[in-house]
Amino acid sequence: MGDDSLQGWAPEPRDADELAHVVDMAFDYRGDVTIVLRDGTERVGYLFNRSRERGQAQLLEPAAAGPVTVRYADIRTIRFTGKDPASGKSYAAWLERKKADKAQTER
Amino acid sequence: MSVPLSQMWTVATYVLRQRLRGRTRYPLVLMLEPLFRCNLACAGCGKIQYPAHVLKRQLTVEQCLAAAEECGAPIVSIPGGEPLLYPEIGRLVKELVARKTYVYLCTNAILLEDKLAQGVLEPSKYLSLSVHMDGLGDEHDEAVCREGVFDTAVHAIHEALRRGFRVTTNTTLFDGVDPERVRTFCDAMMDLGVEGMMMSPGYSYSKAPDQEHFLRRQRAHALFRRILEHPNRRWKFNQSPLFLQFLMGKQDFECTPWGNPTYNLFGWQRPCYLLQEGYASTFQELMETTPWERYGRASGNDKCRDCMVHCGYEPTAVHHTFNSWRGFRSAATATLTGKL
Repeated sequence: MGDDSLQGWAPEPRDADELAHVVDMAFDYRGDVTIVLRDGTERVGYLFNRSRERGQAQLLEPAAAGPVTVRYADIRTIRFTGKDPASGKSYAAWLERKKADKAQTER
Repeated sequence: MSVPLSQMWTVATYVLRQRLRGRTRYPLVLMLEPLFRCNLACAGCGKIQYPAHVLKRQLTVEQCLAAAEECGAPIVSIPGGEPLLYPEIGRLVKELVARKTYVYLCTNAILLEDKLAQGVLEPSKYLSLSVHMDGLGDEHDEAVCREGVFDTAVHAIHEALRRGFRVTTNTTLFDGVDPERVRTFCDAMMDLGVEGMMMSPGYSYSKAPDQEHFLRRQRAHALFRRILEHPNRRWKFNQSPLFLQFLMGKQDFECTPWGNPTYNLFGWQRPCYLLQEGYASTFQELMETTPWERYGRASGNDKCRDCMVHCGYEPTAVHHTFNSWRGFRSAATATLTGKL
């Protein structure tokens, strides 16, 4: 993933394929997300695992001792609500910063 | 080379036992991450960017020991996060050592002197303090984004050696590093009296076109050739000589992603220490259900194409050493002569 953070993104997946894609994006995201379930309830936490084959995602909620498992079939959407702690911290971004620092020093 | 004989013997007999059992995929080093918290925020590090509630969590010692038992690797490396921030690091190390497991405690050494003074760790032939050193003072402090860390680490290394600990260094080299400075760094580490050094190129994921990937790999080989082609006789490395030859482009290895399996808060990480593509709940599940054919250079996986990192290629080098007379001869020659 580049440095274009998904923070604040609130997609509306139209079908199961799009939802699975959103789950993948949430899995790559380094901040907390809000999973909106089909019954209207919401679960907030860090989505650290998912399996398309099993149709399940695993979430660590801030106050919970262990992970909870959520079925893809129960998810309506996922909102990228938490701060993205990885934003601007990729290796590529670091190289860019180094290059800029070097250029400034040489001036 | 500087790996102690007893450790070499343990690894050699372990690998041969795996071969006799007909196991083609087996772990060599367990990468055990009891926590993700760190007291540094190094440039280029992708290990610690998590929400605060995740960073506050840690594995229990019992979870760590169960993972080591389940994995069965003869070596456990404890990176992190910063393992000296783990409140039970002393007990964890003591328990692993009691099981005759070789432990590499990978630390930035900021807290090391304090922990040594508190008696948190005890010297043992099974324990090596692997201190993160990315170069001489300027380079290291720049890489870890904090002034003075190099000096702190040097003090801590002196103190650890004085107390009888095995001390090694681990160094990540990124594109653009000055090979002459690295050679000077190697001399400086030997002057400090460390048992040996470990070196690896950094990992960078890029979607650049193939030609650029190729050049990157060639550049890495050229860099390591300039550093290692005429090694100072005093230099000692705490890693396979064949891996160093691979870095220099003298060996053509494929990645062994299951060689250094990673266990952390989320479970067993697929497929390797660097890539996070999901988690298995048991080691057996990791080994049996990870689509290994999708990883490594030969797979064509974009994320693996540039990677030359030790966690994937050092196990290959060790396997190669014990899997053919040619490999064994090359490793033995390099070990005895110091020539790579």
